[in-house]
Order: sequence, then C-alpha cells, then structure tokens
Amino acid sequence: MKFIAGIIVFGSLWGFAECTIGSLLRDVNLPAGAIMTGIFAIGLMTISRVSFRQPGMQTGIGLVAGALRLFNPFGGCFICSAIAIMAEGLLFDLIWTGFSLDLKKPQTLTIQASLGICSTYMVYVGGYIVTQILTPVFSSAGFYIENLIVFIPQILASGLLAALIGVVTVPAVFTLKKLDITIKDRVYYPVTIGVSALCWIIVITNTILILWL
Amino acid sequence: MEKDRLLPIFALLILLIGSISSIYVYVTQATTSTLLVNGQHYTMDQLFSLVQPRSFNESQYSGIALDDLMLKTGVSQPEQHKYTLRGADGYEKTVTWENMKNGLLTKDSESVFSDLPKAFRVKDIITIEVK
Repeated sequence: MKFIAGIIVFGSLWGFAECTIGSLLRDVNLPAGAIMTGIFAIGLMTISRVSFRQPGMQTGIGLVAGALRLFNPFGGCFICSAIAIMAEGLLFDLIWTGFSLDLKKPQTLTIQASLGICSTYMVYVGGYIVTQILTPVFSSAGFYIENLIVFIPQILASGLLAALIGVVTVPAVFTLKKLDITIKDRVYYPVTIGVSALCWIIVITNTILILWL
Repeated sequence: MEKDRLLPIFALLILLIGSISSIYVYVTQATTSTLLVNGQHYTMDQLFSLVQPRSFNESQYSGIALDDLMLKTGVSQPEQHKYTLRGADGYEKTVTWENMKNGLLTKDSESVFSDLPKAFRVKDIITIEVK
C-alpha cells in the first residue's frame, strides 16, 4: 500500500511540476524538456528508487505524471509531453533494472555522477524518440521513419544539457538520502494523499478557469 | 568487470556523443532567406502575394493556405503526393494532402495545422518537398 501511495505522490509532484514550471519555461523559450527531465523527472524517480528499491515503481510514476499532464492542455504539445513523460518513467525503470543500478554498497561521487549522466541522457533521448514516433502514429498524418532519422543528431545533441543537469541531480539525491529523512507511519498516508490531491486539484482547477475565462 | 565500474566509461561515451552531435548540428545549420517549394525558390513576400490567406482559432494563427501554396507553385494531382516540411534545424514532418488543406504557413515560416498535434509545427521552414 505504501508502494502505491508512493507512486501516486511522486507521479503527482512530477506532473504538477510539468504543468506549472514546465509550461513557464516553455513560455520563456528555455529548453524545458531537458531542464524538467534533468531536475524533476530524474530527481523524483531517483528519490523513489533509492527509497523503495522497487522495480516497476517509476513506470507507475510516469503514468500518473503523464496522466496529470493530459489534464493541462496548454504550453507546447501536451500530447507529446504526456507521451514523453510516460516513456521516461518506463525507460528509467528499464535502465536501472537492466543495468542492476540498485546498488546496496556505498557509492563514490564518480559513480553517482556517472549514474546521473547515463540515466538522464538515456531517459531524455529515449523519451524524445518515443514521442517522435508515437505522436505521428496517433495522428492522421502518420509516421515516416525518414523524418526521425534526419533529426537524430538534434535529439542526441539536446540530450547533452539534460545529462549535464543529471550529473548534479543524482549525487544531490544521494546526499539527501544520507540525511535519512523519514515520515512516520501515522502521517505517511495523510501527507501523501493530501499532497497528491492538492496537485491534481490545482491543475484541474487551473484548466477549468482558463477554458472558462 | 562489475557493471558499476563500467558506468564512468559509459558516461564519458555519452558526453562524447552529445558533444559531437552538438558540433554536427551547429555546423550543418542551414540559413537562407528564401523558401524552396516544389523545387523553386521563393521569398516570403512573393508567397504571401501569390497565395490566399488562412487563419485559425479566431485569427490566433494566420498566414497563407498550404494547399493553395502547392497549387500555385505548380503541383498537379496534389492528393496523390505527400509533403515534407523541413526546418532550418533539420526537423521535418511529412503530411498528407488532407492535412495541407487544414494547414497554414505563418509569416515567421512556421507551419500550423488545425487537424494535427503541435509536434507538426515546423519552425523556420526552408523547404517544402513534394514526394
């Protein structure tokens, strides 16, 4: 049950950040995708992974965050963003499980930084490629592989910024973990449910207000 | 060798791939003042004087009609072709004639389609290829 509540709260926080900070970054023409993936996506997924050590959790977090992004149809291509977020959750899960990154022994700063570069870059580039395939597939125009191939150098280049952000985010998460901040069992569920509900209520209310006014 | 020992090597490889790709993108970035449509170069002013205007969403998006643009630039049997819109950064999207009938080209050389997601907004278009 704690696992499910964890998925919902981390997913809601990520989705909420995408809808608010992500939209704001896009409005001022900053590289929102790389910043959001490098800080929020990797940060929240790494916290959840090192805390719960449960494969599958980040796929769920991505699904919750992507679903929340769909409730906020503003700021760039929201369908693309939702697909990318869901793909990023799945990719993070596959990378950490496939490369056995749930290490129990203490890790050096070099390993943490490398982990940040590898997971952030692969999650960002993978998510970008998945959305470039799936968005046209679900549209009336269809998907053409040549459109993707010619744009691969751009995608690989744009992942560099995400990787450079990830090199700071992941070691920062491991440092925070050392502080051993824990929430007592009796307040765990009220806090997680409250935070999740607040994220969803703000996003949905904001959408309704924008559509009405 | 343990997997965690390979991580720094993977990380360096990734930084190398990202850096080389960035250099490649910078070097191959196209800059042109004209737009290549169906094999012929046009300025934006020429196209805007030649093609009928179109707007969407209560004039939030306005420009020239992409279907009329293809007809005026000599495309015959337009429904039998696909159209690839390519931006200066290499981003490109291929669309059908039906999509072109719902599309416009803004003064800033950006495509907008009322029937397609925002991923089909190609910015700084330099080529519209007829296939």
